[in-house]
Amino acid sequence: MEKNKNVLEIPYGTRDFLPNEAAGKRAIETKLAELFTEWGYDEVVTPTIEYLDNLTLGSSHSLEPHLFKLFDRNNRTLALRHEMTTPIARLVSSRLQDYPLPMKLSYISSVFRYEQTQTGRQCEFHQAGVELMGSTSAFADAEVIALAIRGMMCSGLKDFQLCLGQVEFINGIMEQYQLPPKMKEKLKDAMEKRDLVAFGDLIDHLALPENAKEVLKKLPLLNGGEDMLKDAYGFALNEQSRRALDNLCEIYHLLDAYGLTKYVRFDLGIIRDFNYYTGMVFEAYTRGLGFPLCGGGRYDHLLSDFGSACPATGFALGIERILLALERQNLKKPVRPKDIYLGYAQGKAGDAVKKAEELRCQGDVVEIALIPQTREAAAISQKDKGYKELVYLS
Amino acid sequence: MQLNHDEYLTIALPKGKLFGLSANLFEKIGYTAEGLSDKSRKLVIANEEKKIKFIVSKTADVPTYVEYGAADIGVIGKDVLLESGKDVYELLDLGFGRCHLMMAVPKTEKRAKLTDYNHTRVATKFPHIAERFFNRHGMQMEYIKLNGSIELGPIVGLSESIVDIVETGTTLKENNLEEIVAIQEATARLIANRVSFKLKFDRINEMVTDLHRILEREAVAQ
Repeated sequence: MEKNKNVLEIPYGTRDFLPNEAAGKRAIETKLAELFTEWGYDEVVTPTIEYLDNLTLGSSHSLEPHLFKLFDRNNRTLALRHEMTTPIARLVSSRLQDYPLPMKLSYISSVFRYEQTQTGRQCEFHQAGVELMGSTSAFADAEVIALAIRGMMCSGLKDFQLCLGQVEFINGIMEQYQLPPKMKEKLKDAMEKRDLVAFGDLIDHLALPENAKEVLKKLPLLNGGEDMLKDAYGFALNEQSRRALDNLCEIYHLLDAYGLTKYVRFDLGIIRDFNYYTGMVFEAYTRGLGFPLCGGGRYDHLLSDFGSACPATGFALGIERILLALERQNLKKPVRPKDIYLGYAQGKAGDAVKKAEELRCQGDVVEIALIPQTREAAAISQKDKGYKELVYLS
Repeated sequence: MQLNHDEYLTIALPKGKLFGLSANLFEKIGYTAEGLSDKSRKLVIANEEKKIKFIVSKTADVPTYVEYGAADIGVIGKDVLLESGKDVYELLDLGFGRCHLMMAVPKTEKRAKLTDYNHTRVATKFPHIAERFFNRHGMQMEYIKLNGSIELGPIVGLSESIVDIVETGTTLKENNLEEIVAIQEATARLIANRVSFKLKFDRINEMVTDLHRILEREAVAQ
């Protein structure tokens, strides 16, 4: 092939997956697809483009600048999906209305967001996740969290931490001091921007007793194990915030039954950037990655925005982020190894084809030479292409 | 890519006027390292016993080191932080390095209202902050990014106004400029990487609590 000197550009924030990169991505996706199936989750596929109105229905206005938009023939605004929870909520509340609940759905899809790109943060990226529809129980939340942890484990990650919070705790604490809605929004905004200085300043200017201010200021710092959760009961003066903590305790005990609590830590200051969450929320982090690997939570009102009320909980894992974390931590991707390169002498093509079929039946990965080779030439091809073993028919 | 080692806490400090003040403050809570100086040729200075590493970097690069997780913690002026737009935790107002960001014009060219400057040129080191400010006032400006001696802009006819930080106002006076509107107050901030803040929470939180105590004590003493 003549070498082409011009490498053609691809759009901002997109990438090609070259063979070994694509193999890593496919391997992780296959593992996750198997895992979701084993847990009884059915895969769904939704369109890449949706009507803009449907995507922005449950979310804040801050979402719109991040969407890729286009027009259809009738000038209706379309957008590329920015996540999968909203399209699946649309699907369940319309086309799957009559299916028996609870419904367990999974997906592995590309999603699109305008972002300032960095490694691990592209405009087009891939997510694998599940949505569990039709249950308000802590049991459902625990299942979703356990599945997220199992997903990270089966992708090959060893060292990660999942932080678990509850938006109703924050809401309850703000309610118990009767903060006006505008102020609640401002405080949440500061937390979402991770600006604890502005958060503290807002609280300093409230007309509240000092101890109430102290409690509010602690909100983003309530991070720890079971002891911290016990302490948090000391701040919870109303039913709403106490119930949120009870819910976390219940989820934690169930995760104990799964044997997964060593990965879990409480973080009552978590605010996810999608504002449709209504209950437990979580994010998972790992060493060497500047942003979360995975995030999720309960969203009980999103489906009613689409016309049929149904509680739901779920998570999404970032495939590229998992790949990046594995690479940075020098961990193996769950890729199938290349087993056998099959070479053959002149006149042995028919035998070689039969041999290759036989080996593949046994479960080996086999590449067959396209032309007859000498044993030496075949050995070189085997090495160049990275096969573990040479089988040669002479 | 070599990532910061798990057991170390890496702190990025900016060269220049914030360096001494930050190093001083950290020393008070026992966070220091031998040979820590912004004149040092060594760029990474470690305290093996306490498992701390200091990175001394150019001011504008501190938020970048922290956002990418190359440093867990950093000290940076709010002005630089706002301009960078980086996604990091802002944990503590350190109170020092106070300055304020404002718009100034030549005394002889003052106009009646802020909006009278609409569609004019503004020289600044902070084009993002300036743009956000003017957009809020419904104004469209032409931003001319300069890297130093911003006051020169109006003098040589490069721009009608400047947006810059002032500490005492002497430079403005010497160049016959006058502040017409304040944009933002700024002090030094303690920032943290969003994942480090979660994965090393106990250590970072202890540090923040200690720093907070020192700052309060000093505020009372003044």
